[in-house]
Order: sequence, then structure tokens, then C-alpha cells
Amino acid sequence: MDVAITEFLAAALRIATPLLFAALGGILSERAGVFAVGLEGMMLCGAFAGVVAVHATGSSAVGLVASVLGGGALGLVVAVATTRFRADQMVTGLAANILALGLTSFLLRGFSGRSETSTIRVGTLPPLPIPLLDGIPALGPLLFRQPALTDVWRGLVLSMFAFLHRTRAGLTLRAVGENPTAAFAVGADPLRVRALAVVAGAGLAGLGGAVLSLQQVGTFTDGMTSGRGYLALAAIIVGRWMPGGALVGCLLFGAADALQLRVQGLRLPVSSYVIQMMPYVVSLAVLAGLGRTARLPAAIGTSFSREAH
Amino acid sequence: MTGRALAGLALSGPLVRPVLAVVLAFALASILIVLSGKNPLVAYAALARGAFGSWDRAAVGLNRATPYLLAGVGVALCFRARVINIGGEGQIALGGLAATWAALHLAGAPAVVLPLAALAAGAAAGGLWAALAAVIRLRRGVHEVLVTLLLNFVGVLIVSEMLQGDLGEPGAGFPQSPLLPRVAWLPRLVPGTDLHAGIVFAVAVLVVAHVVLWRTPFGFRLRILGCSPAAAAYAGVAPARAFLSVMLVSGALAGLAGGVEVLGVHYRLIEGFSHGFGFNAVAIALLAGLNPLAVLPAGLFFGFLETGALAMQRAVGVPSPLLAVIQGLTMVFVLCAMGLRAARPRA
Amino acid sequence: MLRMYGITKSYGSVRANRGIDLVVPPRRIVGLLGENGSGKTTLMNILFGMVRPDAGTISVHDRSLVRHSPREAIAAGIGMIHQHFMLVPAMSVTENVMLGWEAAGRWLRPAGIAAQIRTASAAYGLDLDPDALVGTLPLGLQQRVEIVKAILRGAELLILDEPTSSLSPPEVAGLLAILRRLREEGRSVIFISHKLGEILEVCDEVVVLRDGVMVGRADVGTITREQLARMMIDRDVGASLPPERAAFGAERLVVADLAAVDMEGVERLRGVSFSVRAGEVLALAGVDGNGQNELADCIGGLAHPMRGRVFVDGTDVTEGGVRARLAAGLRHVPADRRSTGLVGEMTVAENLALRDVATPPLRRGLWLDVAAMSEVAARRMAQFDIRATDSGVSAATLSGGNQQKIVLARELASGPGVLLAVQPTRGLDPGATQFVIDQILALRAAGAAVLYISTELEEALTVADRLGVMYRGRLVGVMRRHEVDLTRIGLMMAGALAETPDAAALYGVGA
Repeated sequence: MDVAITEFLAAALRIATPLLFAALGGILSERAGVFAVGLEGMMLCGAFAGVVAVHATGSSAVGLVASVLGGGALGLVVAVATTRFRADQMVTGLAANILALGLTSFLLRGFSGRSETSTIRVGTLPPLPIPLLDGIPALGPLLFRQPALTDVWRGLVLSMFAFLHRTRAGLTLRAVGENPTAAFAVGADPLRVRALAVVAGAGLAGLGGAVLSLQQVGTFTDGMTSGRGYLALAAIIVGRWMPGGALVGCLLFGAADALQLRVQGLRLPVSSYVIQMMPYVVSLAVLAGLGRTARLPAAIGTSFSREAH
Repeated sequence: MTGRALAGLALSGPLVRPVLAVVLAFALASILIVLSGKNPLVAYAALARGAFGSWDRAAVGLNRATPYLLAGVGVALCFRARVINIGGEGQIALGGLAATWAALHLAGAPAVVLPLAALAAGAAAGGLWAALAAVIRLRRGVHEVLVTLLLNFVGVLIVSEMLQGDLGEPGAGFPQSPLLPRVAWLPRLVPGTDLHAGIVFAVAVLVVAHVVLWRTPFGFRLRILGCSPAAAAYAGVAPARAFLSVMLVSGALAGLAGGVEVLGVHYRLIEGFSHGFGFNAVAIALLAGLNPLAVLPAGLFFGFLETGALAMQRAVGVPSPLLAVIQGLTMVFVLCAMGLRAARPRA
Repeated sequence: MLRMYGITKSYGSVRANRGIDLVVPPRRIVGLLGENGSGKTTLMNILFGMVRPDAGTISVHDRSLVRHSPREAIAAGIGMIHQHFMLVPAMSVTENVMLGWEAAGRWLRPAGIAAQIRTASAAYGLDLDPDALVGTLPLGLQQRVEIVKAILRGAELLILDEPTSSLSPPEVAGLLAILRRLREEGRSVIFISHKLGEILEVCDEVVVLRDGVMVGRADVGTITREQLARMMIDRDVGASLPPERAAFGAERLVVADLAAVDMEGVERLRGVSFSVRAGEVLALAGVDGNGQNELADCIGGLAHPMRGRVFVDGTDVTEGGVRARLAAGLRHVPADRRSTGLVGEMTVAENLALRDVATPPLRRGLWLDVAAMSEVAARRMAQFDIRATDSGVSAATLSGGNQQKIVLARELASGPGVLLAVQPTRGLDPGATQFVIDQILALRAAGAAVLYISTELEEALTVADRLGVMYRGRLVGVMRRHEVDLTRIGLMMAGALAETPDAAALYGVGA
């Protein structure tokens, strides 16, 4: 029983990690006022770029950097379209996801020179035990003997919070998402801030994709993110656009997913599909419950134009 | 007329934006083809051949396009009224589910009635699912984009769940329903081909949508709402009622699309049968410039592209995901053009 | 401390500022009095560096300001408190103060800033809690956040643009007290307002602007209210006015105790009652922001009043929205033709049909009779001389004057019983303005009742059989044509005179 619970927790954590990177990246974008619908595609691009880079250079570090760049590249497309051309944010995100799906699958095949998918195998990132702490019974191996990227999430949530609430850049970013006119009046450039936020967030999401492809699976397959980007979006909503909240949301969703995989074994009366629905239903409930008081960044989804001022 | 004047004339037409977007997308995609060591012209030729090379191919393309036409025109109507309904994925899936359920449980009905009843059930399911999103929006003030997006996943999962239960076919090895009674199948339009009657129905719907949008007070009000909410209030448009109506209609059309796909192509409900349809419908609506009649070429374009892409892969070895690249790029370009146009200061 | 010499600025043919001089010594509160269009906002925008003057110089402490940017102005010690606050409601007071403030540093120390806010708050009686979310604060306190922002950035000269427009009387008293404290500290204030009472209460001197020119300057205490009011709105009201008529028909528009709040929940309309009779024009004058927009929206059906009723030819249309009003014969020329009165992307014909598609002849059962729409459009275009290639062009391509003609044609052509016209001549050249006025007078002659709401006093005087003045959401006076006295009107517009109009004034005199 003990072992089962530890395994369950480990699985939940494992499933939650890529979500968290994507959710934090999405928070950057959404707090600046741009819907982060494109997270799915950004994760996918990052996953792909990471695998290709590791395959080509043999270095995990290069792979991680490549995943950030891969996600960021798609983010650049979304950023330019939504800030420079004022394209609708939601639909542009959808388009980016479609584009990413096609591009990564195409390149995967093109890469191998054949028209069927190739399998690029890279070793998964090894666990990095933290000495002493990992000796704690039960929790030790769970929390402190994980591959590097899982370690990072701890610091990432705190850093994100610190950035948003304790730095001038973060304050400006939040102001742009709430009231770009006020930010403009004090000398900020809302369009530039939004573009930077989108690209930076996309890079983080790309890293989340690397967690999937480099750390957990060791290869890239078509559409391997299978909706995790949208789950991350749901986690942002449940977490009310705050880093700590998104962490809780991701862990919850991770637990739900881990649960649904074990439903058969545990003989629970509820079907796995119903459990899979839970994250989305909960997000809807949160949104509906909060209603108009939902603390969405007030100016999210709107475009900003200088000429109007 | 001088060349410049002609060019100016051509560039000012409403057709230019989508055509330019498509051309640009194909051009960028050809770079990818070149990078993978193939000749773009050869590849595109294979694409075209695969799409309309024979009557058989054309029939497949038309079938493919049919649900896109139905769902696409619904999305176009919504976007026209400034309602961002991206819930097609869920609405189509549930429409297919309802049609399947009706076809299986009303087996006693006569030949003409059964498919119509099943389609009606599909439309009702899609419409209700969209109405649910609309009500949440109206009552709780949650943006319809978020609601429809989230409900997509719930809808698709409901279908999967049902396929595990009553509607499933045990021992099939894959989540699907039993084969539907022959009486329920949509008739073939051209004997000997796969083309089913749904296409005629879809085209008729497009025409009706056009007429409604441009020749009825309801459509007039929708258009005002889409241009300027302030003017709409001044003109006496009840925004909540218009919102609900357009969501119901587009949901019903999406549900219809699901039903048509089930009754015309697969003859059973298959898990994931409509994967991606809803998002494609959005792309098609955009490409059509939100014009119901233009949804026809846009939808056909997408449908034929999909059949052609597989053929292209087989013939030339250019991977079929290139299609998604072209679709994604096209959407981005059209969206940018729309964004630019909306930002142009009005007199 | 501040010297502005010869400030001149034109926007096209509109001369907003014509050679204005302004001197503000330290420890002084200077009031800038003027009605809409007098040039006070332009002058202050120039001072704060948001607008570049065509001519003139600005110097603060004998140092010239040349770069004309808000940054330069702030660095020189000028702080501007806009009428519409530049605050982020979801953030705390401290965060709003820190926003864009370079001195706050890269790494924010909210505790330090909060302490500064508390100190300043105590020193000036601002009563601000640094941790409160700005969105939860009443507007009076939100304004003080703007003030503390300026103070902490070292502003020695504060400009307040119509600061009391959203404040309740106690909040106004609080603000004036704060301004006095600032003066004691050695700072100066420019207090822009059209409200005489407040200016006389807190200012040391008052400068009057009219039509872009400074028409008077006096120390408070050496000049009477009447003189100030007269200076503010003095104009030549010669113009051949049609002869006054003695009596009018039945009441066609009746407004009873109408009260409304704006989008932020501030009460803007505080119980207005009046009626307009057949063949009569009731003009409502007043500086913008005194409830006219809310009144128009409630009568026109675009907003719900908090209480009160609207009757058109005896029918209660209050709850019925726009449709009930159209059915009862009330037509509305809205203030904003670009985004409300017209749909730019639609054609001229469609705009002419905008509000009437639900009724015959434009509607035939379930269908829109497009042929009838074109026919009607052609007739209207001829009738009202709308200059466009044909009725199929998009309305956005027409000139402002022609666009307004579309609105007029639509609203007047059916021969309404009651017309609500709000700022109908805004942005129009003299020819188009005259056309509008002629149409309204023609409508009056045909027996309709017209409610004419405008900030252009001259036009209001041209068409009015009765003239009312709106101030702070109330009708503070209604007078017949022969009773019109510019001084009284000026005093009313500036809030220095409030009468309780009697029934005869409010409801007119019947036939």
C-alpha cells in the first residue's frame, strides 16, 4: 500500500512537471494580456527541437537550449501576429498549434529521409540525486532523486512569483495586462512588453516539451503533447493566473491523470474518461463560479493601439 | 487600363486576401519541401492529382469537405456577430454520438425518416452543447472562447465514455459502435463512387445561410452586432438573444456535420472520428472571409488538400503533415490581414 | 515659478489657444475657468508636454522646457492629475505608485514605498492605505493616489483637470483641504474647472479662458461671481432668432424624476423632470459631464435609469428599450455618430435603414426587402442632399457632414413626434451646422417636440424656445426665450446659481 502511494505520487509529479513549465510560461503571456492558447504548439516545438539537438550533438545541455529556442520561435510567430498585426489572439494560438503539429511531424519524417516516421532515440536525462535529502524515507527519493528538470520546478515557481511581484519589469508586465493605457502613460511600450512576454513564455513551454521528450520518453512522436498544452491553460485558470496556483493546478491534474491510469487496478466505480474530464470540468466550474469577478488580467485579449491615445 | 491600375483593382478585391494567404503559405511550404530534398512543383502536382485526379478521388474530397462546409458556415456566422465559438470539436463529436444513438434506437422507422431523424438528433445535440456554453457566458460572464474551448474536451470524452458503454461494440478491438442499420445510411449520390448525399445538403445550407445573413432582418442585426455593439444597441438589437441564437445555430450545424460524417462515411461511431474538424472549421471560416458562400471554395479547398496530401506522400514521398503546415500558415496570414484591416481608422 | 508666454495652438481651422500668457508664482492656487472648447485642456496638455504648441514658451524656475514630453515636464516638477485616472484597479496603491517610477529601482521594495505613502498621506491628509486595491477605493480616494504619485515624484506644480467631476460633496471638501495643505508646503496648483463655487472657495486667483483667449484675470475677492460667469460665456447672441411663440401644443415628451448612474456606479443624473410640448424646442445647455449623456441614454433607451419614467405621447416607454421608443415615435440623433449612430462598414442604404428593419416597408414577413431599402435610400439622399456616389458605398467614405445627414435623414424622415438630438452639430462645418438647425426648426414647425442637448451654447440659444441648464445631474434652471440672461446662464453652468424651476418652466405652457 505504501509503495503504491509513493508510486502514485511519483507518477503524479512526473505527469505534472511538463504541465508546470508550460503553465508558468502561459502565465507570463496571459498576465501581459495575451491568451496563451498556443502552449500546445510551443511545447511540441520545444520537444522536437530538443530531441533533434541531442541527436545531432549528443549534449543534453544543447538539447535544453534548443527546446527553449524551438518553443520561442513559435512564440515569435504568435507575438508578431498579435502585436504587430493585431490578429485575434485565441485563433492565432489555434493556428500556431496546427502549424506546430504539421511542422514537427513533417520535419520528423524529412529528417530521416523517408516518408514514414523515424524513431530518434536519445537517452533520457538521468536522475540527479541531492545528497542527504534523498535519504529521507519515502519522500526522499520522490522529491530529491529526480532528473534535473524536475528539480528546477521548485525554483521556477518562486522565481516567477518574484519576477512578477518584486521587479519593476514584472510590475510593468502586469500593468500591461490590466490597463495598457496606464502603462503607456508612464512610459512603457505595451506592444513590446507583450511580445517579449509571449516569446519568453513560449521558451518556457518549449522547456516543458523537453521534459516530455528528453526526460521522460527519450524520443519524439507525432503530436506527443496530446493536449497537455490545453491542460496547462486549464491549470492557469484554476490557479487564477498565479504561479503558486498553477503549481497546485498542475499537481492536481497530474494526480488526476495518474489516477485514471490506475483506475482498472484500483477498481474504482468511476470510469477513466470521467476522471480525464475532471480538469476541464473543474476549470469550467472555477470560471463559472468566479463569474465576472474572475481575476483575469483585465485587458487580456484586447489589442492596444498608440493612435488611440 | 495600365498595369498598375489593373494591379490596384485586383488587390482591392475581397478575394485577394485569402488567395494571397494561400499562395504565401504554399510558397513557404515549398521551402520545406526543398529542404527535404524534393521538388515542390512535382510535389504540388502530385497533390493536385491526388485531389482531383479522378472521379473517385474527387468524391473522397467532396465527402471530406462536407462536414467542413457545415461546421465552417456555423463558425462564420458566429464570427460575423463577434462571437468567438471554437467549440466545434465537441459539438461535432456529440452530434455524431446523437446521430448514432438515434440510428441504433429508432431502427423501426421507415427508410427516409431514419436518417433525417438521426441528423436532427445530431443537430439537436450540437445545438444544446453550444447553448450550454452560451448560457454560461450569459449568466456568469465568462468569455465564450474559454467555455467553448474547455467544453470541447468534455464533449469528446463523453463520446469516448459512451463508446465504452451501451453504444460500444464489445470485442471490436477499438472503441466504436456497432454498424448502423443500412436504412440509416446516407444515400450515394453517384452510384459506384463513395460520394454521399451530404454534400448537396451542405451546399443548400450554405445558400440558406447566405440568404439569412443578407436578406433577413435577423441577419442584418447579426451584421450590425458584429460591426459595432454600440450601434447594435442603438438599433434595438437585443444582444443576449442574438448571441444565443447564433450559438444555437452554429452548434446545430456542427452537430449536423458530425451526424453527416457518421451516417455518410463510416456508418458507425468511431472514437476520434472528428478529431481536428472543429479547428479546421475555424480555419475555413477565416479563409472564407466569414462569407457563407465563400465557405464553399474554402471548405472544398481543405477537403481536397487532405485527400491530396496523402496521395502526395505516397507518390512523391513528401510527408502529409505538410498539409497542416499549409493550413496553419494560411490561418496566420489571414488573421494578420484581418487584424490589419480592423485597425485601419474609420472615417 | 511657471511662466507661459504667447501659447498658440491650432488644430486645423480650430484655434484652440491664441497667444495665452500664464504666470503661476509659488504658493499659489490658480483657477482656470472656462467652458467646453475654451482651450483650457489644450493649454494644460501643452504645459504637461503631451502636445506641442505652434508658438510660445514655457519656463519653470526660469528654465525653458523645450522637448515637450511628459518626462521633461515631470523632471521639471510638474505633475498632472488627469480627469480620467491612469490607475490599475487590480493593483494596490503601492504598486500603482511604483509603476513607471524609475526611482523605485529594478528590485522593488514595496515596504519602503508604502512607508513613504503613509508619511505623505499623514502630511497632507490623504487618508490612503498603501495595501488597498485601487479598484476597491471610492473615486475620491483613487484621485488621491494620483496626487500622492505626483507628490512623491517631487511635483512642485500640480495640474488638476476638472478634479471634482466624479466626487461627492464631502470628497470635494476633502480635496480642497488637501490643495490648501499643498499650498502651505510651498507648492502651487492649477485648478481647471467650470465650477465657480469651488474656484472661489480655494483659489487665490482665477484666469478665465474663452474661445482660446484669456479674457480676464483677477484675484479672488476682487471680482464678483456675476462678472466671472459673464466672462466665461459672453458671446454675441444677436443672430436673427425666429419670433418667439407664446404657447405650444400638448406634452409629447415627459420625463419624471429620472436618475441614473454611470458605468462605475457614480450617480450622474439626480432626479430630473421636465416635459417638451408639440411645436417646441427645449434646449439643455451645460458643461459636458454634468449628466447630459446619462439623460440622453435613458431617454433614448440605451441605458436603464435607476428610477424615474419616460413618456412619449402618453406611452410609458421606460422599460421598453429602443424598440418601444421607436414604436412610440421617439427618434434619437446620438452624440457619437461614428460608433453609435452609424456603422462605417455598412452601406449608406443600410445605415439609412439601420433602426427600421423590423418594420414594414423594409420588412416583408421574414424577409428584408432590399429593393425597398434602395428605393427609400435614394429618396432620402435626394431629400437631405446626401452627397455620395450612390447608396451602395460604405458610409465611412462620406464626409462628416454627409454622415450626419444620413443620421438626420433616418431619424427625421418618418416625421417623428419626438426628437432627441444630442450634440447634433459636433465636428460639422458651418454649412452643415446650418442644415442641421434648419431641419430641426422645420420639424418643430411640423408640430414635433424636440429635446436638444448641446454644449454649444450658441446653437442652443438659436433654436430654443425654452433653455435649461444642467449642473451636477440636475436641472438648475429653465428659462423662456425672453428670460434668457447670459449672466444667469453662466452662473448656472458654473454651479453658482441653482433655482428650483417651477412647473411652468419645467412643463411649459400649453395651448
